[in-house]
Amino acid sequence: QGQQGASQEPPRYEIGGINVTGTRYLDPNTMIGLTGLKVGDKISIPGDDLGRAIRKLWDQGILGDVNVVIDRFEGQRVFLTFDVKERPRLSKIYFTNISKTQADELRNKVKIVRGKVVTDALLNNTRQAVRKFYTDKGFMNVKVGITQEPDSSLPNSVELVVDVRKGDKVRISDISFVGNEAISDGKLKGKMKKTKEKKAYKFLNSGKFQRADFEADKEKILDFYNAQGYRDAIITSDSLITVQDEYSYRWIGTENGKFGIHKATVREADKLVLRVYLDEGPKYYFRNITWSGNYLYDSKTLSSVLGIKEGSVYSKETLDKRLNYNPTGQDVTSLYMNDGYLFFSIDPVETRVEGDSIDIEMRLSEGVQARIKDINIAGNTKTSDHVIRRELRTLPGDKFNRELLIRSQREISSLGYFDPEKVGLNPVPNPADGTVDINYTVSEKPSDQITLSGGWGGYAGFIGTVGLVFNNFSLRKASDFHNWRPVPGGDGQRLGLNIQANGLQYQSYSFSFTEPWLGGRKPNSFSVSLNKSIQRTSTTGSVLDIKNGSYIKVNSATVSLGRRLRWPDDYFTLSNSLSYSQYKLKDYPYFANFSTGNANNITFNTTLARNSTDNPTFTRRGSALSLSVNLTPPYSIFKGAHPGVNEWVEFHKWMFDASWFTPLVGKLVLNTRAHFGFIGRYNHSRAYGPFERFKLGGAGLGFGGASNFVIGTEYVGLRGYEDPNAQFAIPTARQGESGGIAYNKYVMELRYPVSLNPAATVYVLSFAEAGNAFDKYSDYNPYKLYRSAGVGARVFMAAFGLLGFDFGYGFDNVAPVAGAKQDKSQFHFIIGQQIR
Amino acid sequence: CSPYQKLLKSTNVNEKYEAAVKYYEKGDYFKAAGLLEPLIPLLKGRPESEKAEFYFAQSNFHEGNYTLSAYYFQTFAETYPSSPYAEEALFMHAKSLFRDSPEYELDQTNTVTAIESIQQFLNRFPESKFRPETENMSNELQKKLERKAFESARLYYLVRYNQSAVVAFNTFQQQYPASLYGEQAAFLKLESQRNLAAESVEEKQRERYLETIAFYQNFVDTYPQSKNLKTAEKYYDEARQFLKDHPDEVAKNPQAQNN
Repeated sequence: QGQQGASQEPPRYEIGGINVTGTRYLDPNTMIGLTGLKVGDKISIPGDDLGRAIRKLWDQGILGDVNVVIDRFEGQRVFLTFDVKERPRLSKIYFTNISKTQADELRNKVKIVRGKVVTDALLNNTRQAVRKFYTDKGFMNVKVGITQEPDSSLPNSVELVVDVRKGDKVRISDISFVGNEAISDGKLKGKMKKTKEKKAYKFLNSGKFQRADFEADKEKILDFYNAQGYRDAIITSDSLITVQDEYSYRWIGTENGKFGIHKATVREADKLVLRVYLDEGPKYYFRNITWSGNYLYDSKTLSSVLGIKEGSVYSKETLDKRLNYNPTGQDVTSLYMNDGYLFFSIDPVETRVEGDSIDIEMRLSEGVQARIKDINIAGNTKTSDHVIRRELRTLPGDKFNRELLIRSQREISSLGYFDPEKVGLNPVPNPADGTVDINYTVSEKPSDQITLSGGWGGYAGFIGTVGLVFNNFSLRKASDFHNWRPVPGGDGQRLGLNIQANGLQYQSYSFSFTEPWLGGRKPNSFSVSLNKSIQRTSTTGSVLDIKNGSYIKVNSATVSLGRRLRWPDDYFTLSNSLSYSQYKLKDYPYFANFSTGNANNITFNTTLARNSTDNPTFTRRGSALSLSVNLTPPYSIFKGAHPGVNEWVEFHKWMFDASWFTPLVGKLVLNTRAHFGFIGRYNHSRAYGPFERFKLGGAGLGFGGASNFVIGTEYVGLRGYEDPNAQFAIPTARQGESGGIAYNKYVMELRYPVSLNPAATVYVLSFAEAGNAFDKYSDYNPYKLYRSAGVGARVFMAAFGLLGFDFGYGFDNVAPVAGAKQDKSQFHFIIGQQIR
Repeated sequence: CSPYQKLLKSTNVNEKYEAAVKYYEKGDYFKAAGLLEPLIPLLKGRPESEKAEFYFAQSNFHEGNYTLSAYYFQTFAETYPSSPYAEEALFMHAKSLFRDSPEYELDQTNTVTAIESIQQFLNRFPESKFRPETENMSNELQKKLERKAFESARLYYLVRYNQSAVVAFNTFQQQYPASLYGEQAAFLKLESQRNLAAESVEEKQRERYLETIAFYQNFVDTYPQSKNLKTAEKYYDEARQFLKDHPDEVAKNPQAQNN
């Protein structure tokens, strides 16, 4: 038959019939359907049509083998036969000789799909996966056996039985280095992060050996050498030897029926001895550094920014840092990049090496200034664009500036809605028009907090709490029922609801709402909050009499407006608020000189704050400063004989808080804080009132750990001492004392992160602090402090906020009567972020 | 134990399959999906598996699990290209992605994927009976992207970053020349430019007012019926007044030299 097509094209045939052979359990017609071919289709032979059909059958994973045979040609028609081999399918997988938890973990690891055909590849992959699982855990001698057993309940199915013999864990017992003269073994071992010796006292080190980790650690050793000027250092080889320790001992007793001195030998589990052979090479120094291609800045300026002097130790690391990115100071690249020179590049070339001295020529290409064109945001699956976009410092039309790019990253992180470790910045230059687009990527994390707790609050007995904080709420979307899944969100508003109660004795309700950009034009935050709380105490001591007992009831409402300032710099915020509180008291014992009656308090507050911290959950650098003033109207100045001292409360109160974060070595961060507070009066003929005074002690949560438990007082934590109103509280915080009118407190805290996973950020800390409150200015003495020190840990979980505990030791005596036994060791629970 | 719970635990493949089809036809997609999911690997290679997989994808769609249904419809169309359901499956794949596309304020990666899938569907089945619905979906998604770009530019206008607003509206006009938001964009660009000119230092004001006039002329040429015409005219007058009060020194000087 003549072919119509061009001679190089394969001939096309019409399918006259498809036949399937070799099926036992499978349906031949379905097989035909799965090939994607049907009678009447035109296919090329030779060509890739048949290959594709086989691949499709194969991809189903239910066949052991597929062949296609051309039965015959009839003119333009072709008849095909697919010859398939069925293989048993996998119905179940079992693991023997290992624990159920590990079996479950393995089942996820091996990723076997039930219903697939059992092939050699599948068996091999399973064996490899199981083996890797155990060698990763340090069981280097694991043995894996797989057997297939027919499944009686399903035709043509087998069950896989995977038998695992873990053997003993193999650990590194000794690491040594050969060829190191300038740097000691111990120092080099310290540079290896994952490959460590197992020692009884190092309980955090597992001593596992893993090739991939070891290779990374070798790089670290070389990096360290390079940083010390040993630019030629190489690791020539390494060896890993398995040894088995044996030891003999003797005893006197019976063995095999014979009494006497016997000897026995005990073999210990396998151990690894790791030896690393290296060649340090000579130590190099910088000599002449010259610049070329620089038109904007002269060589002298560039050299001073680089800050590397002739004769200093050659270090690639320092050079890179000073050239490209220096987190703590200036670098050459940011000199250009912060001024729009996005296309700037620099290439340090070693022009001469003489003995141990190296000459370097810096070849610069300055490029043109780029302006920002488009800003794109991706990854925000919950938070609206505008909530992110309005925080960005990179603006369309501005010159590209790397510093502002990094600042924008900080702003996104501090919103608290995204994983701070995963904020992506990607400038995409358009060389054609000299512009740059900036693509930000974010990854949402849960930001709502739910507290449902019940617990014994010491003094008050059982206290139940229901607290909801929605940090990324949307009032705009709340009217549409569809958005309540579970709550409308994404507009960056904050809604908080909190109820705390233990029946009649103590109840507290609070509601608050904050809109961070009132009107959407400026970052002026607006918030409203309402509080109501009641606390009753039975005078007879019986809970049944509580209705007739003493009480304090407080109702309050606050409205506040905050705004960001551009001056002195744009880390500053100023907020003003007006609040009204009403107090109703009956026989209330905690204020001196005021137990029954009503009091009203109208306060105007203004707070000036500066916050440049880099991350709200685990802060590494930056500072937070705040100065706040609370003022009530000076009633008694207008009207000297103002009825009742407390009916309209009057005072002015000044608070200052400062907190600095400094990274020390590695991940260790030092937090230094200082806090001061003072209360003043307008009219010297009047006494200081009982409200808003300072009581120091404990975790800063008030007596018994219940927050705001005793109302109308400012509680400040002082670890190592008992909570205020307790028996061994510091003098001005004791029960019956009204608290101080001035206080100061100083804290030094060392923090070390254990986990920076956003689901649960964990850090440990040690602290030393000192503080005191004074009830008369004549007693005020900033050196008379109650000192303490201790350790603690914090866990930040997105759903629960910050939780933690501290163990503190108070150095100073606070016994109320001489000779009373003070417990100097104190344990504190911490709930929520503490400012003071 | 309800009959459904018993079926879930049953190992009888045929019985489970029959029941799943029945639930599906009754419209109980939740139960149908529950039964079909463990069944699908076991039905592989049997004639029932085609229907089972299609119904499973449909059930997921009806249950609102659009991410899943998009995936299952696509797998179905790839596995059974000659199935009578194949066209519908590809359509439903696109429709699932369409339903899965988030609001304009959020990340639009899914929207872009949906538009691509719709285009692929239309290329492959140009005569499809689903064509009108598919085209509607595509238009709606396009509008969403336009709105996102417009609102992004408008944010700079709202927060009074006038220069950025002008740049962003320019980019918007280049990207979406025939947008529904074109008129608003042109007007807000004019207003931002005028605000920029008014707030500028003196040496830059002239140049910026000239630009304001250019934007105005462009605006009235393109949108002569705009309801913002009055306000726009006010900005035009203001710009002209400024230029009259501050004649160009540079332009005047060479003339003086010539005379």
